[in-house]
Amino acid sequence: MVIAALLCFGALLVAWIVAPSRPQRVEAPLRVEASSEGLARAA
Amino acid sequence: MNAGDTAWILVSSALVMLMTPGLALFYGGLVRRKNVLSTIMHSFFTLALVSVTWVLWGYTLAFGPDSGAGLIGNLDWLGLEGVTGEPSSTYAPTVPHLAFMAFQMMFAIITPALITGSFAERKRFKAFVLFAVAWSTLVYAPVAHWVWSPDGWLAHLGVLDFAGGTVVHLSSGVAALVAALFIGRRAGLVEPATEPHDVPMTVLGAGLLWFGWFGFNAGSALGANGLAATAFVTTNSAAAMAALTWVTLSWLHRGTPSVLGAAIGAVAGLVAITPAAGYVTPAAAILIGGGVAAACYGATLLRLRSRVDDALDVFAVHGVGGAFGALATGVFATVAVNAAGRDGLLAGAPGQVAVQLVGVGVVAAYSAAATGLILLVINAFLPIRVPDAHEEAGLDIAQHGEIAYQP
Repeated sequence: MVIAALLCFGALLVAWIVAPSRPQRVEAPLRVEASSEGLARAA
Repeated sequence: MNAGDTAWILVSSALVMLMTPGLALFYGGLVRRKNVLSTIMHSFFTLALVSVTWVLWGYTLAFGPDSGAGLIGNLDWLGLEGVTGEPSSTYAPTVPHLAFMAFQMMFAIITPALITGSFAERKRFKAFVLFAVAWSTLVYAPVAHWVWSPDGWLAHLGVLDFAGGTVVHLSSGVAALVAALFIGRRAGLVEPATEPHDVPMTVLGAGLLWFGWFGFNAGSALGANGLAATAFVTTNSAAAMAALTWVTLSWLHRGTPSVLGAAIGAVAGLVAITPAAGYVTPAAAILIGGGVAAACYGATLLRLRSRVDDALDVFAVHGVGGAFGALATGVFATVAVNAAGRDGLLAGAPGQVAVQLVGVGVVAAYSAAATGLILLVINAFLPIRVPDAHEEAGLDIAQHGEIAYQP
């Protein structure tokens, strides 16, 4: 049981490492302290 | 097994758990509005992350039977094998072993979360996750073993740390300084500090921290008894005196009694009384609170003059405050308060100050070296810092795809 739990956490760890670094989509209209140019580059 | 003790430890565990969301609000209010979610996420994610790693391997490394030389626990309790509802023969003999484990888990959670204030507004989330797993395993667990395991080598040396002045605050404060130096200053930072975006959020967070700290310190008596009451009163006294002192200093220095200063001052007092709470009198706690507020206030001024961008002054409050409290414990401790403790300088045992100094030096040096190594290794294959464009846009949208406040 302990080994299975360790493997489950290991799977999460691998998922975090390979997960994309940038969001796939923006959830809401933006009004944050940043320039529009910076936002465009980040999104 | 004692029902009152068990109830108190379970309630204390819940109180300490609440400190991490409290820390999220405390830090979240201090950053700019484009980074509030990412800052809150650092603490909230750590709550979940370390909850799992502590059950799987953290607890056995920190509190498991010693593997030799007092450096680390062995793997006998991996996955909490053998940790049950019956009391431990080693720790807290009047409460279930699982209750003691859960109480310690909440300490293990908040410690890496404290570090996150230093690299706020510029750290890649993925790198943060790996850092939190590595740091809690390679720094927190061994240091907790050294100080709190009966076989730990600093415990054998006689270092006093009632609730985590060295284990929690000094280790995280020094790690925060190293992280700030490693990751560098925030881009485009003209002034040495940015204005908090939400002071009420920070004050609410400080209030939750103060509330939860009663579990942190009075819970560390590991029983519903007179020692818990002592720790409760010393904790509140130090926090109150530190808040009053910080406000007074900022009033004299800047001309206004700062609300933010009251919140940060209280936290500094809570940090400093942590190692001393069960060893000193309430009067000594008031002196500790006043002293640490002056020390931490001075440290924040020095940091502002430096090039170090420890964004939320984690080192100035937790590093300096933790070291101050540990040394003050060596000065004010008395067995008249706690027969299981030791006398300090004012009780006729000046050697205890030297012992505390060794504890402070060892924990600070180890945390600095290990944190630097962890950051180097992670950064070698995954840049710790976000790209400039993400930093400019804010980590909320760039790292998490969400924003805190609708237009």
